[in-house]
Amino acid sequence: MTNRRFTSDPAVAGGLSVTGLHVVDAGGRTVIGPVDLHAAPGEVVALVGPSGTGKTVLLSAVLDALTPPLRRAAGQVRWQGTLIAPGTAARRWRRRCVGVVGQDPAQALHPLRRAATLIAESGADAVSSRAALAAVGLDPARYADRRAHQLSGGQAQRVAVARAVAAAPDLLVLDEPTSALDEAAMQLVAAAVRVRRGDPRCVTLLVSHDAAVVAALADRVVQIDAPVTPARTGSVPRPAPGATPLLSVRGLTVSQPPGGTALLRETDFQVAAGELVAVRGPSGCGKSSLLRAVAGLHPVDAGHARLGGTNLPWPVRQRARPLLRAVQLVGQHPADALNPAHRVGAALARPLRALAGADAPDTHIARLLTQVGLDPGIAARRTHELSGGQRQRVALARALAAGPRLLLADEVTAALDAATAAGVLDLLDRLRGDGLAVLTASHDPAVTARADRVLLLHDNHLASEDPAHAR
Amino acid sequence: MTGPATWLSRVRHGAWAGAAAVTVVGLLAVAGGVLAPHDPTAPVGAPWTPPGPDAAWGTDALGRDVLSRVLAGGRHLAVTAAAAAVAASALGVAGGLVVGWHRGPVARLLTAGMDLLLAVPLLLIAMVLAVALPGPVAVVAATVCGGTPLTLRVVADTVTVVRHTGYVEAALGRGESDPVILAREVLPALTGLVRADLATRFVAALQLAAALSLLGLGPAPPAPDWAAMIRENLTGAALNPAALAAPAAALAVVSLLVTVAGQLAGRTRGRPA
Repeated sequence: MTNRRFTSDPAVAGGLSVTGLHVVDAGGRTVIGPVDLHAAPGEVVALVGPSGTGKTVLLSAVLDALTPPLRRAAGQVRWQGTLIAPGTAARRWRRRCVGVVGQDPAQALHPLRRAATLIAESGADAVSSRAALAAVGLDPARYADRRAHQLSGGQAQRVAVARAVAAAPDLLVLDEPTSALDEAAMQLVAAAVRVRRGDPRCVTLLVSHDAAVVAALADRVVQIDAPVTPARTGSVPRPAPGATPLLSVRGLTVSQPPGGTALLRETDFQVAAGELVAVRGPSGCGKSSLLRAVAGLHPVDAGHARLGGTNLPWPVRQRARPLLRAVQLVGQHPADALNPAHRVGAALARPLRALAGADAPDTHIARLLTQVGLDPGIAARRTHELSGGQRQRVALARALAAGPRLLLADEVTAALDAATAAGVLDLLDRLRGDGLAVLTASHDPAVTARADRVLLLHDNHLASEDPAHAR
Repeated sequence: MTGPATWLSRVRHGAWAGAAAVTVVGLLAVAGGVLAPHDPTAPVGAPWTPPGPDAAWGTDALGRDVLSRVLAGGRHLAVTAAAAAVAASALGVAGGLVVGWHRGPVARLLTAGMDLLLAVPLLLIAMVLAVALPGPVAVVAATVCGGTPLTLRVVADTVTVVRHTGYVEAALGRGESDPVILAREVLPALTGLVRADLATRFVAALQLAAALSLLGLGPAPPAPDWAAMIRENLTGAALNPAALAAPAAALAVVSLLVTVAGQLAGRTRGRPA
C-alpha cells in the first residue's frame, strides 16, 4: 500500500501539478502516496479505482482540506506554476479558484435555502442561476423555490453540480457527481461539465465509479491501485425465482410530502422469494419513497401489503418482530447511514442481538464484513474513518445481519466501483439462492442487467419492463 | 472547508491539553483550600500589606492572607456553577430529545413554556430567587430558567435532523423503542454538542454566582469567596493591588479555560454538532 504511484504525465507546466503528495493518519501510517498528479489547462482528469483506495482523500489533500486525524506529511501542489502553500494561501486559492461537488451533495446543500439561492451562492445572478438549473434538467419554474429536503437524491446532486459549474471555477473538483442520476440526467450533467474541456483556464478533476461518465468526460484516466483485492466470488449461478409471491402490494398510494403531490397512485406489484426486482425511473419520480414506504418509514396514503401470507402493516412501529426482521432497508445516503458515535462492530452487533438472536456476534460480524468485501478489521473503526463505498457496504452488512427475507436496496451500488459492485451483486445472487428477495431502486445498468424483472416507475404507476431493454 | 492539516492536528492535541488544564484548575478551585499556607479566615498581619515573605500575595482589608483566600475561595462558586450547569444542561437535553423526537402537542406546549421563561429577563429572575432562596439554590434555579430553554432549542433542532438519518431509521427497522433509540443512537451522536453546551452553561452560571456574591447574596463573611473578595478589597486597591487582581484573575481563568475546552470538545471527531 505504500509508495503507490498514480501514472500520469509529469511534463506539464500550467494547470494543476501535484508532486510527492503523502497523506498519513494519526499514527503516521500511510493513507495515500506519495502521489504525483498533473492536469494540463483545459483537461478533464478522471481518478478511478476500487472503493476505499483514497480517491476522496486525495482530492481533499490536493485542496489542503483534509479532516483530522489525516494530515499531509509531504508533497507540493502547484497551480498555474505557483506553489500553493498549506494554510491561509491554500484557503484563499480554494475560495478564488476552486469549485467542489462532494459525495452526498444533499448534505452540502443548506437546508433552509432554496435551489435558486443555493446556486447564487456561487456568485451567479438570479437569471443565470435559473439557467444553470435548466441546464441540469430541472425546470426552474418547478424547482427554483424548493429546499434541499424537497429534492430527491438525484435532484440535490444536480443542484450541487449546477452550483459548482455556474461559478465557472478555474479548478472544478467532482466527487461522484452522477452516483444518484439516471442516464438522461447524467448526460445533462456531463454536458454541463464538457463545456470546460479545452478551455485553457479550466481544469477539472473527476472521481467516478461510473465507467460511462468517465468515458464521456475524461481526457485522461488515472488509475488508482487497490490496497487490497476485493473479495471476488467468481461466477454465481443465477437463482431461479420462486413462483409464490413473498411481498404482495395492492393499491399503494404514496405522496411526497405526505398528503401532498402523489408519487404513486393505486399501484400493485409483487416480489417473489429469490427474485431481484429493480425499479427504474427518472430522478425524483418516487423510487426512494416507494422503498421507504415498504420499509414502513414513509407514510402511506392507501394500500395493503402482505408478506409471505401475513398482513404487513405499513408503519414500522406496528410491525411485529418477525416482520421487522424480514424486511430490511439499505438507504440511499451513505454519509448518514452509520452513527458517528459507534464503531462498525457495534452497528452490526445490534441487529444481530436484537433481531437475529445471536449471542456471540463477533464471529458473525467478521463473516458479514467479509461477505460484503470488507476487511473484518474495519469493525474497530468509526464512521468518519470510512470512505463512502465502505459505509455503503457496512450499511448493507447491517441490513443483512438481521437475516431478512426481503431486502430493500436504494442505489446500493451507487458509491461502489464496478468490481466491488459486482462483488456485492454476486453476494446478493448467492443470498437469493437461499430465498432472499431484493427490491432495489437503481440507475446502474449492472443492477438492472441482473434483475429478474425491471419495473419502470412512470406517471405514478409501476409498469413491467422487459429486462432485455432495461438499458 | 476546514483549515490546514497541521493546524487541525494541533487542535486534537489541544483537546487533550485543554482537558488536562481544566482538570487541574477545577481541582484547584474546588480543593485548593488544603494547599492554603494560612487559615483563610484569620488575620496574619496589618490590612492591605503588599506581597512579602509572610504573605506571598499580601493581605486583604482585615489583614488575612490573600493567597490562602484565593485558594479556598473558588469552591463555593465552582461547585454551585457546576451543579447549575449540569442541572440546566441535563433538563435541556432531556427536553430537547423529547421535543425533537415527538414534535406533537406536548412538545409544542413544552416549547411554549420555555419561550415564556426566555421572555423574562434572567437577572430579574435571579434577584427574586436569591431573595427567596439560599444563594446556591438561587443560582441553580436561575441557570435552569435561563439556560434550559436555550439548550432545549438547540438539541431539539439537532434531533429533528438526526431522526431522519440512516442509523436512526435502521434502529426503527429493528423495532427499537423510542427511549432505546434516543439513548443508544441519538444521544451518543450529540456528544460533542452536549459537551459544548455544558461548558457554555457553566460559564453563564459562574458569572451569575459571582454577580450574586458581589451583591452580597453569596456565602456570609468571613468565608472566602472570589466575588466577595473583589467587593471587600476594592477600596484597598491602591495599597495592595494583588488583593483585588488575584480573585478577579482566578474567575477569568476558570471561565476562559472552560469556554475553550467546551469549544474543542464540540469540534472533535467530526460529529454532527
